Amino acid sequence: MREVSRDRIKAFLTLLPSIILIAVFVYGFIGNTVWISMTDWGGVASLAENPQKNFVGLQNYVELFTGFLDARFRQDLVNAVYYSVLLLAGAVGLGMFIAILLDRKPRGEDFLRTVFLYPMSLSFIVTGTIWRWLLAPQGGVNIVPTFFGGEKLTFQWLSSKQALLLFNWQHLLPVLLYVVAFVLIIIGLFTLKGDTPKALKRYLLPGLGLGACVWLFGDLLPQIYFMEEMHGFNLATLGIILATIWQYSGYTMALYLAGFNGISQDLMDAARLDGASDWGYYRHVAIPMLKPITISAVIILSHISLKMFDLIFAMTGPDNAETGHPALNMYLTTFRANEFSKGAAIAIVLFLLAAMFIVPYLVSSYRQRRARS
Amino acid sequence: MAKVELVNVSKRYGEVEVVRNIDLEIEDNEFIVLVGPSGCGKSTVLRMIAGLEPISGGDIRIGERVVNNVSPKSRNVAMVFQNYALYPHMTVRENMGFSLKMSKKSKSEIDERVTAAAEVLELDTLLERKPSELSGGQRQRVAMGRAIVRKPDVFLFDEPLSNLDAQLRTQMRMELKKLHMKLATTTIYVTHDQIEAMTLANRIVILKDGFIQQVGTPVEVFEKPANVFVAQFIGNPPMNILKGIFKTEEGRPVVQVGSSVFPLPNGQGSSLQSGAQVLVGIRPDAIKMGRSTERLPKEWLCQGEVIVSEILGGQSLLEIVIDGENKLIAEVEGRVIAQPGETVPIGFEFDRMVLFDPETTNALS
Repeated sequence: MREVSRDRIKAFLTLLPSIILIAVFVYGFIGNTVWISMTDWGGVASLAENPQKNFVGLQNYVELFTGFLDARFRQDLVNAVYYSVLLLAGAVGLGMFIAILLDRKPRGEDFLRTVFLYPMSLSFIVTGTIWRWLLAPQGGVNIVPTFFGGEKLTFQWLSSKQALLLFNWQHLLPVLLYVVAFVLIIIGLFTLKGDTPKALKRYLLPGLGLGACVWLFGDLLPQIYFMEEMHGFNLATLGIILATIWQYSGYTMALYLAGFNGISQDLMDAARLDGASDWGYYRHVAIPMLKPITISAVIILSHISLKMFDLIFAMTGPDNAETGHPALNMYLTTFRANEFSKGAAIAIVLFLLAAMFIVPYLVSSYRQRRARS
Repeated sequence: MAKVELVNVSKRYGEVEVVRNIDLEIEDNEFIVLVGPSGCGKSTVLRMIAGLEPISGGDIRIGERVVNNVSPKSRNVAMVFQNYALYPHMTVRENMGFSLKMSKKSKSEIDERVTAAAEVLELDTLLERKPSELSGGQRQRVAMGRAIVRKPDVFLFDEPLSNLDAQLRTQMRMELKKLHMKLATTTIYVTHDQIEAMTLANRIVILKDGFIQQVGTPVEVFEKPANVFVAQFIGNPPMNILKGIFKTEEGRPVVQVGSSVFPLPNGQGSSLQSGAQVLVGIRPDAIKMGRSTERLPKEWLCQGEVIVSEILGGQSLLEIVIDGENKLIAEVEGRVIAQPGETVPIGFEFDRMVLFDPETTNALS
């Protein structure tokens, strides 16, 4: 037998146990969850010894998005979207900002780095408990202004009923199209300076066109729900977003700081000689060079925010509708209401949302690796 | 285009002084090469001129302006780094245009100047590529392009060719020389490679331990080294240094080296007392063999015993012993095939011999 093929057999045998375990316990269970989400397992007899599971197709999903009883799931989903977007902006932005400050090599940089990274090592339950106290209506953050002779704040951080940017769930389709148009226009404006024709052709004009079409003919799109149902950005989630940013900006800081440290002194000198100011160096050289780090941070944070459970549980408990999250909803639906099939459907929706972030990244990194070899 | 002047410039890192009171005047459009072993302070001098290192003492003047406290970007100098320091996320075009973009030049002007520089450097077909898609030589060219689009007063080169393979290095060396002739800009070039120094420079500055050892044209430093260090640092193989005694024989000055007697036809060492100790320096290429000995005076010829011979293609390196004890390296024209132990006729160009003071190692007039 040739040396190479023997090597391959050995390698395969070594990997086999983990392949089998992952196949069963990860992919097998995903498959099983998909199957359960398409049955009617739930209700009174769901805990029977051999519960009835009848195939019902996509009915659970249809109910989640258009069912009268599942309005809370829809608000949770909206919460999750805002939560992810704001967490990404906050943690990446703040982490980058602190990393830039520390990259200037201030005195005590080592100490400060540890200080900023430390929240990462806490469990979400601890973070949640600390911030629940800090954000209590009668204390914590709200009494800070009184130290400076100001009025006490009265904002109900975790139980406010206020919501911003309300939209009617009936109009979900036009709203989504508006979002797409908005994103295209923003990308277009950012690339306008660099590559004007491409920015116009690929982003700005399609974005404006799409926006105009939806504005003119949006009424023709089908309404996906039979009655008016308002959803928006619940201000009660602000406290949770703050706590998560507090916990994760140290982590993104560490990622960026490692990246900044990896940039050679010569490159920094070259930028200085080329006339870049300190800010210009970061804006034009360092941050664009660390795009892979930004992408990793976005992937990691987005899937964490989509799966967030324990922090919200610790801060507001599972039953506070204003600060709900699909993962909490899945837990309640499955293990408290015993609606196993619907819980599975929520899990699959979350799974698909997370895949939306991760799959493009995996595909592009795979392509890059192939292009390199 | 500008003069660069260093007046009493020094650099200390804490207690350690790496550059000590350097005085140097660099003429407009001059190509000056700073050369020396590693740790001699040559790169520090360059970085101080660029403004990347603050100076600990003295003045640096570019043009008429003292730039001690002027930031690097306002000095109008461009630098080419050893590892090129190209921005990896930018295309060649963006790399070359970056400094113009930072100085808020219009897009059409940036385009025009980048295209012009790319033509000079034959980079026109590579403008849309990223540095990772270029070969070492091409990257080197882009680094130079980035420097020339700015039309700086001074070019600074920090060992720009040392990451290239030998063949490419020779080629780029020629191109650098041509580029300098075309652009006529004051150029300060740091290298540890004395061949680069010899071939490129209008004047060479040899540094050691933070001190300037000698400033002079390539021929000057080669033929009239200021001290033993320069004599051995410049030239490959290095100058032969032998111990000898100066004296006068039959009214003519000579040096007694062991049992050999070398005449001093140029009156070297005329200031010396008879019997003074000296060090004698003879360039390996001042030792001749075969037909090139014909034009030498008869008393400059002798016999040498070959210890080893190496053929380098067009020339040969020989290790030779004369008068049974004085070992010399000779670099002679042509392929000399000599067996170890063989005795061959050789000649010396004694007019090129240099004497050094054994105490100070400085050259004697």
